[in-house]
Amino acid sequence: MVMASEDEVSLLVIVVDVNPIWWGQQANREPQFTLSKCLDAVMVMGNSHLVMTRNNKLAIIASHCQESHFLYPFKLWKSGDGHGDDNPSTSGDGKYELLSVANDIMAEEIKILMSRTEVKGNQTDTLLAGSLAKALCYIHRVTKELEAGQEIKSRILVIKAADDCALQYMNFMNVIFAAQKQSILIDACVLDSDSGLLQQACDITGGLYLMIPQKIALAQYLLWVFLPDSDQRSQLVLPPPVHVDYRAACFCHRNLIEIGYVCSVCLSIFCNFSPICTTCETAFKIPLPQMVKAKKKKLKPST
Amino acid sequence: MDEEPERAKRWEGGYERTWEILKEDESGSLKATVEEILFQAKRKRVFESHGQVRLGMMRHLCVVIDTSRTMEDQDLKPNRLTSTLKVRKRGDRGDVGIITTKNKRAEKLTDLAGNPKKHIAALRNAKDSTCGGEPSLYNSLNLAMQTLKHMPAHSSKEVLIILSSLTTCDPANIYDLVKTLKALKIRVSVIGLSAEVRVCTVLTRETGGSYHVILDESHFRELLMFHVKPPPASASSECSLIRMGFPQHTIASLSDQDAKPSFSQAHLDSTSGGPGLSLGGYFCPQCHAKYTELPVECKICGLTLVSAPHLARSFHHLFPLEAFQESPLELHQGERFCVACQGELRDKSVFTCPWCCSVFCVECDLFIHDILHCCPSCIHSRP
Repeated sequence: MVMASEDEVSLLVIVVDVNPIWWGQQANREPQFTLSKCLDAVMVMGNSHLVMTRNNKLAIIASHCQESHFLYPFKLWKSGDGHGDDNPSTSGDGKYELLSVANDIMAEEIKILMSRTEVKGNQTDTLLAGSLAKALCYIHRVTKELEAGQEIKSRILVIKAADDCALQYMNFMNVIFAAQKQSILIDACVLDSDSGLLQQACDITGGLYLMIPQKIALAQYLLWVFLPDSDQRSQLVLPPPVHVDYRAACFCHRNLIEIGYVCSVCLSIFCNFSPICTTCETAFKIPLPQMVKAKKKKLKPST
Repeated sequence: MDEEPERAKRWEGGYERTWEILKEDESGSLKATVEEILFQAKRKRVFESHGQVRLGMMRHLCVVIDTSRTMEDQDLKPNRLTSTLKVRKRGDRGDVGIITTKNKRAEKLTDLAGNPKKHIAALRNAKDSTCGGEPSLYNSLNLAMQTLKHMPAHSSKEVLIILSSLTTCDPANIYDLVKTLKALKIRVSVIGLSAEVRVCTVLTRETGGSYHVILDESHFRELLMFHVKPPPASASSECSLIRMGFPQHTIASLSDQDAKPSFSQAHLDSTSGGPGLSLGGYFCPQCHAKYTELPVECKICGLTLVSAPHLARSFHHLFPLEAFQESPLELHQGERFCVACQGELRDKSVFTCPWCCSVFCVECDLFIHDILHCCPSCIHSRP
């Protein structure tokens, strides 16, 4: 197994979907797997990542329907005192101090987040694209703040609960291409139903996609599949890649099509030929059958 | 020939006192001025948004690389040729072809193709070839014109010339060729590596392209980036609805009963060796010919095959992100932290998004505009 050298920093950003509507319904469906159990599993994953090497870094973002909030690391430089001064971090059971501090901060922040946000009627989808964008900006900042000679490898792990929101398609694709350009892997651990957007994200960036058969074993799946980083993955037998549907959806009916018409100006996709593009209102030239002119043969001078 | 536009050359301007830019503070250090200059360098790029102007999205670009004697000059490390070949960036929708010119002749290095892998491989091999002789602008433009002449009318036809020499050796009058290029609506742009050459100025002015001479390597990179952006479409290019296919990628394994190995159409003509038989691939929806990579034009039925992400990559040109408003840090009330990266605001200016009024630091502003193309806060409120 390849050992990480002193100069390699591995940054893992975990984006957890904490959609209150989905988790509320989940508490009724399966009382043994609730949001707190899910966060316990995330904490185990985060702790394991931090103890693999001293150089490993961690960040956790909670993706809600109205905002994305960083659960960890905590903004210690706020004017006034940080958590570290008020509550002594000794947990009493001999745990490594860094881990117990991290767990306490995460628990505190998620309680604050869930209690302060109220869900409004029409905003019920998880803002996953926004959380991923913030994760990319955070990774960009950490990469800039490295010391000379250090290299960084970053990846994002998305734990998804609720369904996809089709309105986020364009922003999602922007985020995916940005991650691909920065060589950041996006892994996805899906709890409930398959997500086409995340399948595309994992395929384009080179990450892993897995839909978990049994939710209560979340911690096991996280540690088995998602903890090893990209260098070690080539030496393990991991779940095979899924078939990704890259067919485009037409703009008029939102059906998936195999052959379509693309406007050369705005790149909108239509399933049938129409004389006007509905997005950019360009009038198209209708192709007429071409007249074949009789060819005149020229006598070439002999060379 | 129409008149030369009034342009003051540098030697025609007044006497500049460049030392006056530097100002010392009380302790005699120049630190503040140096930081200011670095800050301005970060913000140098002007974000022009084309707004309602139509952009030419389907582009056929021919890149002409001058491989004459002057490319072995050492002023760009390690030499000019290697420097040019290092900076290759994938363009947007459309095809790219590469032509090299030396010894008064022009040769096609790679044909027009959408997939960048072949070009990158050819460029890598070209790195070791020798440079010699004089370039020929006429021959290379002629060759480019032959290829671009047959392209459909709705695509924007462009030629980008990277010229290092100050001379050109042409068999015929190049101004006649310029007239032909203008009639065919081919836009020619030139990046000069040594100095301004009048024939290039005329060439680019007549065809509607741009002419730049590089100052240093980073300026070279910036100019190439500038050419990657789609240019505004000329009014005469026709808009049409292009028929395209979106094939599914089938991954078949040996344990499947129905899996039959087949040849990929792209490999039948290639000389790169290998048997070419494979189980999975992309099947054209019209004629079921198999291909291993996209985008490609089906050789059997002529349908252009793409995948949806290829089109999505160009969306950010159509819906560009507005530039953020800059304001000094002292005037900013509220918490001093950047919404995107959660870092403290330490630079002297902060940037505010005009839609959602969130505050970002300099690094995040550059990252958002260059790479991300969407504001992280806006997509929270208006997905």
